[in-house]
Amino acid sequence: MNLALRLRPFVLPALLLILWQLAAMQAAPADRMPVPADVLATGWTLIASGELPLALLQSLQRVMLGFATSAALALVLGTAMAAYRPVGRNLDPIIESFRPIAPIALLPLAILWFGTGTPAAAFIVGYAAFFPMIVNTIHGVRSIDPGLIRAARTLGVGRLTILRTVVLPGALPNLFVGARLALGVAWTSIIAAELAVGAKAGGGASGGIGQMMFVFYAYSVDLSGIIVCMIGVGVVALLIDRGVRALEYWMIPWKR
Amino acid sequence: MEALDQAAPKIRLDGISKEYIVPRTGQRTLAIADVSLDIVQGEFLCIVGPSGCGKSTILNMIAGLAEPSAGTVAMDGAPIRAPGSERGVVFQDYALFPWKTVRENIEFGPRFRSDARLGAAERDKLVRHYIDLVSLTGAEHKYPHELSGGMRQRCAFARALANEPEVLLMDEPFAALDAQTRLILQEELLRIWGEDLPRAERKTVIFITHGIDEAVFLADRVAVMSNHPGRIKTVMDIDLPRPRRESLRATSEFQTLADEIWQLIRREAYEATIDRR
Repeated sequence: MNLALRLRPFVLPALLLILWQLAAMQAAPADRMPVPADVLATGWTLIASGELPLALLQSLQRVMLGFATSAALALVLGTAMAAYRPVGRNLDPIIESFRPIAPIALLPLAILWFGTGTPAAAFIVGYAAFFPMIVNTIHGVRSIDPGLIRAARTLGVGRLTILRTVVLPGALPNLFVGARLALGVAWTSIIAAELAVGAKAGGGASGGIGQMMFVFYAYSVDLSGIIVCMIGVGVVALLIDRGVRALEYWMIPWKR
Repeated sequence: MEALDQAAPKIRLDGISKEYIVPRTGQRTLAIADVSLDIVQGEFLCIVGPSGCGKSTILNMIAGLAEPSAGTVAMDGAPIRAPGSERGVVFQDYALFPWKTVRENIEFGPRFRSDARLGAAERDKLVRHYIDLVSLTGAEHKYPHELSGGMRQRCAFARALANEPEVLLMDEPFAALDAQTRLILQEELLRIWGEDLPRAERKTVIFITHGIDEAVFLADRVAVMSNHPGRIKTVMDIDLPRPRRESLRATSEFQTLADEIWQLIRREAYEATIDRR
C-alpha cells in the first residue's frame, strides 16, 4: 500500500482537529471551550503520572467482574429458557419487565446494598450486561437447526453431551454478538455508575475513570481533563471490541 | 438369491398408523394407515411413493425420532422407543455439523455416544478407514461448507457408518445431487454396503427415494406406497443379479421392473403434482 492510501483515514480527523483548534482560539472565555493543544498537554501529564491508566484499569476490572458474573448467569438461564418451554414462559415476563429499567436507576439500591466501592459498580455493570447477553443466548439456542440435534440423537449421543457438542457451538456466533453488545453497555454504565458513586462518596473512595471525570468537573471544572477521560474511554471501548472480535475469529474458524 | 422370508425380521412394522392434529383447526389427518412390513437382516429395502405419502415419517419412526399413533415398530423383537446408535441415519440435507471438519464429523458418534465410546487411538484408525472408504482422503480437515454436494453426502454417509450401526436408514440421500453424481454414488453405495458379502455380514438398509430407477438399481425389494393416507400398495422383489453395474440399467428386465412401479404410482404422482395440499 502506498503512503497516500495509508494516510487517508487520518485526513478528516486531522482537519476537524485543526478546525477545532482555530475555533477554540477565537472563543473568548477559554474555560468553556477546551483547546486541543491543552487537551494534549493534560493527556500527556495524566498518562505520565499513571493516573489515567490506573483509573481506566480500575474501571476495566469492574467491567470484567460484572460482565463475567452476569454473562455466566445469562448463559445458564438463557439456555434453560430456550431449551425448556415452561422455564421460558415463566421467566420471560419477569426479564422483559426489568429490561427497560435503566441500570443507573438501580444506583440507590446498589449503594444501599453494596456501599460505594467496586461491588456496587460491578452490580450496575452486571445488570446492564445481563439483558443483551440473555436475549442473544435465547436467540442463539433457538436458532440451532433442529436437524443437527436429531442427527446427534441418532448417533446415540446423550442430552448433556448434545448440549456441549451441538447446542453450545451452534449458539456461539450469537453468544459473541451478545458479548459484544453486553461489553458495550457495560463500559457505558461503569462511567455512569462511578460518576454517581463518586458524587455520594465525595471523591477519593472508589476511583475509576467515571470518578476521575467527576473530580475534574466538581472540583476544578477542568475541561481538558474531562476530554482526556472521554478519549480514554473511547480508546478502551475500541480495544475491548477488537479483542472480542479477534477471539471470535479464533473460536469460530468455520465461519471464516 | 437367498430366501428373504426364512429369517426372523430385523425390523418389524406392525400395523402402524400416524395421525396428525392440525394445531390451528384441530382437524385430524391420517398420514399413515396400517402399515405392516418385515425387513430382514442384510436386506436392502427401498420405499418409493409420491410426495407426502409418509415415507419419511416411517423412516423417522424406525429411527426413534417419531412415535406411531397406533401399532408397533420393533428391532430384533424389542420395541423402538428412542434413537440409538444401532440405527444410523443419513439425512436428506446431510445435517453435518458446520463447526466440525470432515474428520470431526465422522468421529462424532464413536467419540460422543453414550455407550461404548472409543479411545483416541481406536477412533483414529476407524475414522481413517471410513474416510478412505468414501474417498474423502485429503479433505478431512475441510469444513462442510467447503465441500461439494457429493462430498457432503459421502461425509454424512461415512459419519453414519463410522458409528457402526446394524441398520442404516437413508432418507432421500441423493435427492439434492445432480444426475451424474447420483449415478456414481448409487454404485459406490452398493460397493460400500458390500454386495459380495454374505447376507449375514451386510448392513440392513432402508432407503427412501423418489427415484424409481434408483430404487430398482439398489434394492432387494421395493415397497411402493400410495397417498392419502399413506399405505404400502405392493412390495416387489427385485431379482436382478448382484453385483450390479451401470450396464444393468439398459437391460429389458430393469426397464420392465421400473415401468411396473411407475404404473403403480403414476396416477397418484400426477395428483400430488397438480393438487398440492
